Amino acid sequence: MSAIVAGAITQRYGSELALDSIDLVVDGGEHLAVLGDNGAGKTTLLRVLATATRPTSGTLEIFGVDAWSERRRLRSRIGFVSHAPGHYPALTVTENLEFFCTLHGADRKRIAIAIGLTGLADVAARPAGKLSRGMQQRLALARAVLHDPKLLILDEPDASLDAEGPELLKQLMLGRTAVIATHDQALANRLCQRTLVLRRGRAVGVPTRLRVVH
Amino acid sequence: MNSIAVAWAVARKDLTAEWRTRELVPALAQFIVLALVIANFGFQFDSQSAPSIAPGVLWMALVFAGLVAFGRAFAAEREQASLEAMLMTPAAPAAIFAGKATAAALMLIVCEAVMLPSLALFFAVNISFGVVAAVLLATVGMALLGCLFAAMVARIRARELLLPLLTLPLWIPLVVAGGTAVQVEMGGGSNDQAMALLVDFDILFLVLTSLAARFVLED
Repeated sequence: MSAIVAGAITQRYGSELALDSIDLVVDGGEHLAVLGDNGAGKTTLLRVLATATRPTSGTLEIFGVDAWSERRRLRSRIGFVSHAPGHYPALTVTENLEFFCTLHGADRKRIAIAIGLTGLADVAARPAGKLSRGMQQRLALARAVLHDPKLLILDEPDASLDAEGPELLKQLMLGRTAVIATHDQALANRLCQRTLVLRRGRAVGVPTRLRVVH
Repeated sequence: MNSIAVAWAVARKDLTAEWRTRELVPALAQFIVLALVIANFGFQFDSQSAPSIAPGVLWMALVFAGLVAFGRAFAAEREQASLEAMLMTPAAPAAIFAGKATAAALMLIVCEAVMLPSLALFFAVNISFGVVAAVLLATVGMALLGCLFAAMVARIRARELLLPLLTLPLWIPLVVAGGTAVQVEMGGGSNDQAMALLVDFDILFLVLTSLAARFVLED
């Protein structure tokens, strides 16, 4: 079953065309990398796929249901990491995750699992505002997998991560459908089966199947 | 999903953050006391005229303190991009809004706990249970409307200017009813009608803001 079916997704900001009729199918369990220069439309596409932004036109189905009309229900199945970390700096790592656990209605046991997966155990009691940029990114990733989503949408998830970052991302994406935006072709090769290249809001060619690196 | 649990989690998160950072409440309390000090020197009053002047001073200080408190409620969320993170959960936007409004109202109530004794001290007026009840009832309505407009303007650059322009006209009914209630109470009269009006306004604003929250918070 396809996890994502997008048809002619178009996004305009005033007179600016951010996405121009993007068609996309992502199968369940598949990992897709979205590549492109700055301003190519990667972030806009990922925001649309995460149901954070409503496209100007086009259709989007996620797990077989209309993404916009069913967005609240779908959000329990989507984990999204955007550019901004979106933490509460005065709250500790654990408190941040507890808060989002309540909002997701997720089991509290998931907090320890998310902390363990992302290597945040040593800083779990530290306020989020006092974490390094890399640790903040790990917290954003922990929040994204807190509710055990089936679909991960990650916008430049490798930003600020250390050398262990790609391995961490691989672990988090395991068993899930994932769409990641990155500038790093090597990371895309390592983590994803296919790439979609965007240029000025348009898909360049057909999504390419990559050689899977085990 | 339990909306009450979500609203409580949001309110508790805001109150915990304020307790740790002490960014808003101490500054607001200082502002209120300073406003009362200035009014104390600015107005010529005696024991006869104090019950007429004090309610006006009270509502002026409360309105401006409220604008700051409710404006910060959503501005901080936008600045740290955490509002989107909240909205990317299945939690109902109305529950998130209720939590934000509750926390902002409680912070203003803490400031009122400083304001009312200060008012009694500077203006030598009687702060009865009726005065406290009128202020609390007005605070509920002010918080609901103030937070709704704060959420609306949070993404706009000129939000500090727009928030008072949008909010103050709609606060007028609360200030009129609250002002009447406090004035009658300080003069030793009964204020049942004004209090009933405040309750009515609170119910009306609660219903309206609950319905509007979804459209305001989501893109």
